[in-house]
Amino acid sequence: MKVCVSVIDDDTLVLRSLGRLLQSHGFEVQTFSSPQAFLERHDSDVPGCIVMDLSMPGLNGLELQQALAHAADRRPVVFISGRSSVEASVRAMKAGAVDFLTKPFDEADLVAAVRAALEKDRASREGLAERASVNFRLATLTPRERDVLSRVVAGKLNKQIAAELGTAEKTVKVHRARMMRKMQFDSLAELVRAWTVTQPPPPAPPQA
Amino acid sequence: MDSHPASSAGAAPGLTHPGWRFGARTTWAAPALLVAVGYYFAARVGFAFTLQPYPISTLWPPNALLLAALLLAPTRAWWWLLAAVLPAHLLVELQSGVPVAMVLGWYVSNCSEALIGAGLARAFVPWPLRLDSLRSAGIFLFCGALAGPVVSSFLDAALVSLVGFGERGYWDLVGTRIFSNTLAALTVAPLILTLASIQIPRLRAARTARYAEATALFVGLGVTCMMVFNLPQFDNHTEPALFYAPLPFLVWAALRFGPAGTASAIAVLVVATIFGTVNGLGPFAGSTPQETVREMQLFLTAVAVPMLLLAVVLDERARVELDAREQRLQLTHLSRVAMLGELSGGIAHELNQPLTAILSNAQAALHLVGNKSAHPDILMEILRDIIAADQRAGEVIRRLRTLFKRGETQFQPLDANELIHEVLGIVHGDLVTRSVEVVSELAAALPKIHGDRVELEQVMLNLVVNACDAMGGGVAPEQRRLTVRTRAVEDGAVQISFSDCGPGFTPEQYARLFEPFYTTKPRGLGLGLSISRAIIRTHHGRLWGSSAPGKGASFHIVLPALAANGR
Repeated sequence: MKVCVSVIDDDTLVLRSLGRLLQSHGFEVQTFSSPQAFLERHDSDVPGCIVMDLSMPGLNGLELQQALAHAADRRPVVFISGRSSVEASVRAMKAGAVDFLTKPFDEADLVAAVRAALEKDRASREGLAERASVNFRLATLTPRERDVLSRVVAGKLNKQIAAELGTAEKTVKVHRARMMRKMQFDSLAELVRAWTVTQPPPPAPPQA
Repeated sequence: MDSHPASSAGAAPGLTHPGWRFGARTTWAAPALLVAVGYYFAARVGFAFTLQPYPISTLWPPNALLLAALLLAPTRAWWWLLAAVLPAHLLVELQSGVPVAMVLGWYVSNCSEALIGAGLARAFVPWPLRLDSLRSAGIFLFCGALAGPVVSSFLDAALVSLVGFGERGYWDLVGTRIFSNTLAALTVAPLILTLASIQIPRLRAARTARYAEATALFVGLGVTCMMVFNLPQFDNHTEPALFYAPLPFLVWAALRFGPAGTASAIAVLVVATIFGTVNGLGPFAGSTPQETVREMQLFLTAVAVPMLLLAVVLDERARVELDAREQRLQLTHLSRVAMLGELSGGIAHELNQPLTAILSNAQAALHLVGNKSAHPDILMEILRDIIAADQRAGEVIRRLRTLFKRGETQFQPLDANELIHEVLGIVHGDLVTRSVEVVSELAAALPKIHGDRVELEQVMLNLVVNACDAMGGGVAPEQRRLTVRTRAVEDGAVQISFSDCGPGFTPEQYARLFEPFYTTKPRGLGLGLSISRAIIRTHHGRLWGSSAPGKGASFHIVLPALAANGR
């Protein structure tokens, strides 16, 4: 699948040069002259990361970061700043920036930061995909099968489950087998791991 | 001053460095020789200005020359100079057949005159004496032109009586010598003193018009003196108004050419007057020789003293004004540099942008060429961008250099919109980092204004920085807006306004806003607005502020248009 680095800078010369540099390193690059343009035009389904200047007229970098968080787009951001204010960099890192480079930066630093950001994006997208697939399979279960599942992953024995549900242990066995087939798992361990993935993610760190 | 006594005591003959001057390390051989030669010729002039057939010298310049040389030289060099004139004195006096004892006696009295004048003056004014203030001029007149000739004349007459030379009485000798030596001190010494302090480079830098004016002055003065003092008097009745004829020229010299010009003009008047008088021409001729000479000397002294003082006072005042002007320029420059210092973060950002672009472009090109994937079109694009970025960095530096420069105010036709563009370019980085949005409402086709680019940019920069500071704390970043407006107002004047949306100011604050050292900023000097107003005033314009409570502050500049300025 295509991976795209979105470069955002209001300074056309800087924007073009960053785009070219990243392209010369083999990245797929899209350039935007403002955060607004990025929000309007980018395709949130395309995986990738953002490389942007922190201080821009209008919407600035930190505000874009917040806007993305609102849109549940967890695309990693690499900030580049002409002036490194400690306060701004702390805020950016707290909000999940991958790296914070100060102009003029080292080429290797930029490439490393972009690689790290893309890797982070890939990992989080894979997690998302798995979660989606598990959720999809969960949705095919009947209420009774779900009841059985929740007790199975809690480590309960068929006998205990039958007692709790007020049914025969044999019935529980049937439900359990059907549930495992629908969830496409062969082992209890796989089921438990998938179940933890579907748990709601821990709340995002509070915004500074 | 006397820290290197060895250098003068062990002075080698000849010059160790070209362009001698009376300084701490100067070798005294050359100046002493110069003074000796001058002394010789001055004595010849003194002899030439002797009224025949009665041997009464009307002007005795050698002593005045020696006086000036002593005043210009450090005290430890005096003996060199006094020793150097002895051969010149002997040479010139022995030619006229005067007894040796009398010649030596006159050497003593001549030297004592110069020593008394210079020694007394040095007690009041440290070396070197310059006719650059009323005080030093007064001290020179009192010590050099009065005390020296008077005191030494008693000695001189006593020596003459002792040797028994000539038949004139003691008091007659004293009187004659006082008048002729005072006149010489008034004529020759100021001329040498002022000419010695002339700065050659400044003289060279003077414009042709100035030389033309000086020529007109001296030709006019010369012709007038010829007409008044060098024509035979057909009747014994002299028109008193004639005496005043040279005065306008002397006042002209005092007003326009300083003490040096005035001293020169006085010298011309004195020489012309004496030349006519000793040749029996002009208004002073006619009565007895003693009376003729005395009247002429009184006239010349009475003219020379006030004219010299007038020139010195005018010169001193002009210099004080110049100093004040220079200080104002310095202060303006300093506050400009301080302001640029405050903006340095933003300026660094402005330089960082093109530098980043250049670096990234070059690295990209390096990669593309290394991978053999470089298309010539892409390389061309990259190189064009590098050039553009470099030019932008150059532009930032050019703007800065203009503002850092310290120079004289230079008026020229300017476009107010272009100035604003420049100023906003300088603060661009700062505006971005402070999240200040600029709204420009610039009127097209504004009349040109007349002003100094740097100073006007300084004023605008100051107002922009003030506006940004005002919006720093209390205003939310998305509401920080600076509005810049230009418009043509009546009489073709141009109004430039800067409006912020900060807290504004109260009438009480406004009353003090333009006072020096009044500031509302924690780290401000409080000079910005007072200097800005001074600058706008020298541009014949107005700078004022207005504020509606809670709606921010506005500052307005009105500058007269080019034509209305009358220049």
